[in-house]
Amino acid sequence: MISEQLREQVYSCIKCGLCMNTCPVYRQLYFEGASPRGKVQLIKKILEGELEISAYFSSLLHTCLLCETCTVNCPSGVDLNRLMKAARAEVVRKLGLPLEKRALYSLLSRNRLLPFFMFWGRTLETPLRSLILKEGRAGTIPATRLPRLNSRPLLDQYPQIVSPAGPRVGRVLYFVGCATNYLFENVGRAVITTLNSMGIEVIIPRAQVCCGFPAGQAGMRKIALRNIRQNLELFDPGDADAVVVDCATCGTALKKEYANILEEMGENAEAARRLGQKVQDISEYLSKLDPAKYLKPVRGRVTYHDPCHLLRSQGIKEPPRNLLKSIPDMEFVEMAGADVCCGGGGAFQFDHPDVAAGITKNKVQAIMETGAHFVATGCPGCRLQIHGSLGDESIKVVHPVELLALAIS
Amino acid sequence: MLEEKVFEELISIVGAERCKRSKEDLLTYCYDACIHEYLPDAVVFPKSAQEVAHIMKTASAHNIFVTPRGAGSGLGGEALAKYGGIVICFSMMNRILEINTANRYAVVEPGVVIADLQKAVERAGLFYPPDPGSSAVATMGGSVAMNAGGMRGVKYGVTKDYLLGLEIVLPSGEMMMTGTVTSKDVTGYDLTRLICGSEGTLALVTRINVRLLPKPKTKRTLLAIYNSIDAAGDTVSKIIEAGIVPATLELMDKRLIKALDDFTHLGFPLDAEAVLLMDVDGDPETVENQVALVADFCRRQGAREVRVSSSEKENEQLWFARRSAFGAVARMRPTCLIEDATVPVSFLTATIKKVIEICERNRVQVAVLAHAGDGNMHPLMLCDQRDEEEMARVNKSMDEIVDYALSVGGTLSGEHGIGVNKARYLPKQLSETSLKMMKAIKRTFDPQCILNPGGFLDYGAL
Ligand SMILES: Cc1cc2nc3c(=O)[nH]c(=O)nc-3n(C[C@H](O)[C@H](O)[C@H](O)COP(=O)(O)OP(=O)(O)OC[C@H]3O[C@@H](n4cnc5c(N)ncnc54)[C@H](O)[C@@H]3O)c2cc1C
Ligand code: SF4
Ligand code: SF4
Repeated sequence: MISEQLREQVYSCIKCGLCMNTCPVYRQLYFEGASPRGKVQLIKKILEGELEISAYFSSLLHTCLLCETCTVNCPSGVDLNRLMKAARAEVVRKLGLPLEKRALYSLLSRNRLLPFFMFWGRTLETPLRSLILKEGRAGTIPATRLPRLNSRPLLDQYPQIVSPAGPRVGRVLYFVGCATNYLFENVGRAVITTLNSMGIEVIIPRAQVCCGFPAGQAGMRKIALRNIRQNLELFDPGDADAVVVDCATCGTALKKEYANILEEMGENAEAARRLGQKVQDISEYLSKLDPAKYLKPVRGRVTYHDPCHLLRSQGIKEPPRNLLKSIPDMEFVEMAGADVCCGGGGAFQFDHPDVAAGITKNKVQAIMETGAHFVATGCPGCRLQIHGSLGDESIKVVHPVELLALAIS
Repeated sequence: MLEEKVFEELISIVGAERCKRSKEDLLTYCYDACIHEYLPDAVVFPKSAQEVAHIMKTASAHNIFVTPRGAGSGLGGEALAKYGGIVICFSMMNRILEINTANRYAVVEPGVVIADLQKAVERAGLFYPPDPGSSAVATMGGSVAMNAGGMRGVKYGVTKDYLLGLEIVLPSGEMMMTGTVTSKDVTGYDLTRLICGSEGTLALVTRINVRLLPKPKTKRTLLAIYNSIDAAGDTVSKIIEAGIVPATLELMDKRLIKALDDFTHLGFPLDAEAVLLMDVDGDPETVENQVALVADFCRRQGAREVRVSSSEKENEQLWFARRSAFGAVARMRPTCLIEDATVPVSFLTATIKKVIEICERNRVQVAVLAHAGDGNMHPLMLCDQRDEEEMARVNKSMDEIVDYALSVGGTLSGEHGIGVNKARYLPKQLSETSLKMMKAIKRTFDPQCILNPGGFLDYGAL
């Protein structure tokens, strides 16, 4: 059930409409049901018993990127983000999820299963293919522009403790997200080498599992809960300086969502809150270490895309930009609307490819206008979406830390 | 309920996607930014004037009520289907058709969001001044139908001052043009300005020609901080009296300052009793002079400090905060009602005092906001609409504020319109003859009385 405190939120919406045109989805569809204001209204009517949870309600609720743009723009302080996620959980409780989704999310959440699929997938080119391709596309992304799998999961490529060659000046725990573990090993390597070369020891708990965010936001909180518990146990920060994360979404999960979900499910959220305080996005952590003194020049032009889960969920705007600007000879150009969602939204772009494509088109155009060689972004979801939609091979989508690693090597 | 064959006709005009009738959809078209809710039977989204004309032909043939809607940001239930029927929502008919720099005008469809037009013309070095607090949500069609005012009214006037011509569809489904694209036009009655402010009761606006100005070269924002709200109010009347014309002149009291700071964290002075937020714009030299003049003026009237913005970004942040006022105060209580009575600007201070006195006496929480340069009060009354007893006190306060405003030569509504909220006051301000003429005009346009029933002329019928 939606908690009492969240219920009261629906009455804080005064229907001023100021959230509507900030919503990328409303700007594609232009009807209230797709707007944040409309969603609050429907949730209110359901809570008041005037409306039943229906398949159409569910589809409206999921016509949403969970990009939090409405939440940060609501002057009245309605926490739409939490409200809509809690409502999604209600929908799953009432209506269940289609089998294929259920399968996908439990798969994503259970790391032990994935290696099997990876093996199977390798022989079939990529596993994502066999699972989610329709007519040669995964949502908006053509199969040819999907990433290849890592040859081995990143967690299998490193020991649990990776020490710097020189004197140790700090120690962090590293939460390796699924994307880095299975798809973007380069990001993981960049994180580890960059930290090491700055004198930081990296501890990588072996038994870590998916952060649980994808399942949680689809409303499958039971699956999420299992992962939350396991990760909480493994990531007791102790005397480490920080728990670093290279993925905006995992970061948001560890910083905020764990505590929110536990609290809303009536569980003890103390440990989650303690962990939340120690978690730092890799860009946050690195920018405090004065990276400039380790960097050699790299020529090129880079622009930066703000992931929703970094900018709005965690309020991180400058650190990744500062990192990029600190690379000698690298020209930084701001794109128009860097803070606008890329249109990916996790499962959103699979379920609503047309809407997503409309949103992504604007992003791609803004990137093209900068003439950049690199688009840096700290979120694998944005990376998939942007790379998948960029027709231009000369523009590389990277994690900021990959460019840093390039400047260090 | 509409008959099935009416739905079939509507669908044959706009297609099934743009004709919505599920309970979920109807529930998201039963509100605007006021507190009333009325369920329509269907919501259709035309994309052309021809579609609108077809819909109206169907509606008049079957004698079905139709209510036009822009973004639903109205504060008085104007866009709600008070008697059910069809809502025609213009949100999908939203193209900017032309920006003519040579003759400085623009042609837009009614669903264009005001702020989108402003941005587009500013890129072309031009300027569309009407700027309601809701410009980021409200549509051009809605702002024409409401004759929206806003923050720049004190220098630049209101929506009607920028209208050159309209394309409209009558309730019968006939189409016509009013006005032209020229800046002068005295051919016949001025129907453009009759439609403007008619609250969607006479015709549906399907295309709008607006006059544009050259974009002012520069702009500075000033924040004058006061330890007394009276001194702030007096400053306003004296600025106007002295013939100084800032581009905007807004007054906010301490409650509002606190709410805005809670939302924006911009460092508003939390210990002040009131602030004036002002813009001066024009050529750089004139602006520098005016900034000094206005700042000096405010200090002499008792401002304890005058802050001057140093960048475009800072200007924007301050105005973003101001635009958020309505929502931001709603952080304190669930419901917020904006009163809109307007008085001659020399009565501003007296009116502010009176409003506070009335609200205190009725135990109603109030935050004072005003488009002060226009004498346009916007006291924000904070309450909880679920509490009937409290709402009765709020309504009583509204009655008293209206009576006071009328007693000093003011008006019921400066810009938010009458809608269902203020219809009961209409006979207080308009004579019987005046009402009779208005009703005759309504019948001429809409003999079947199918367009926006329950609008301001129908009070008592609801
Ligand atoms: C936060 C906030 C601040 C505001 N600030 C101001 C302000 O400073 N100044 C001000 O004047 N108002 C203000 N308003 C009120 C409101 O935004 C304006 O009245 C606005 O013009 C309404 O536009 P809309 O598109 O939302 O119209 P709606 O609310 O949808 O409709 C308003 C009326 O217009 C009619 N209508 C809409 N489109 C058409 C059309 N194409 N043809 C015929 N009739 C049509 C509707 O039937 C209805 O009667 C504010 C509202 C909010 C929520
Ligand atoms: S901005 Fe906030 S208060 Fe206004 S309509 Fe959106 S959710 Fe409601
Ligand atoms: S989270 Fe993003 S997509 Fe969803 S309603 Fe809010 S602004 Fe729209």
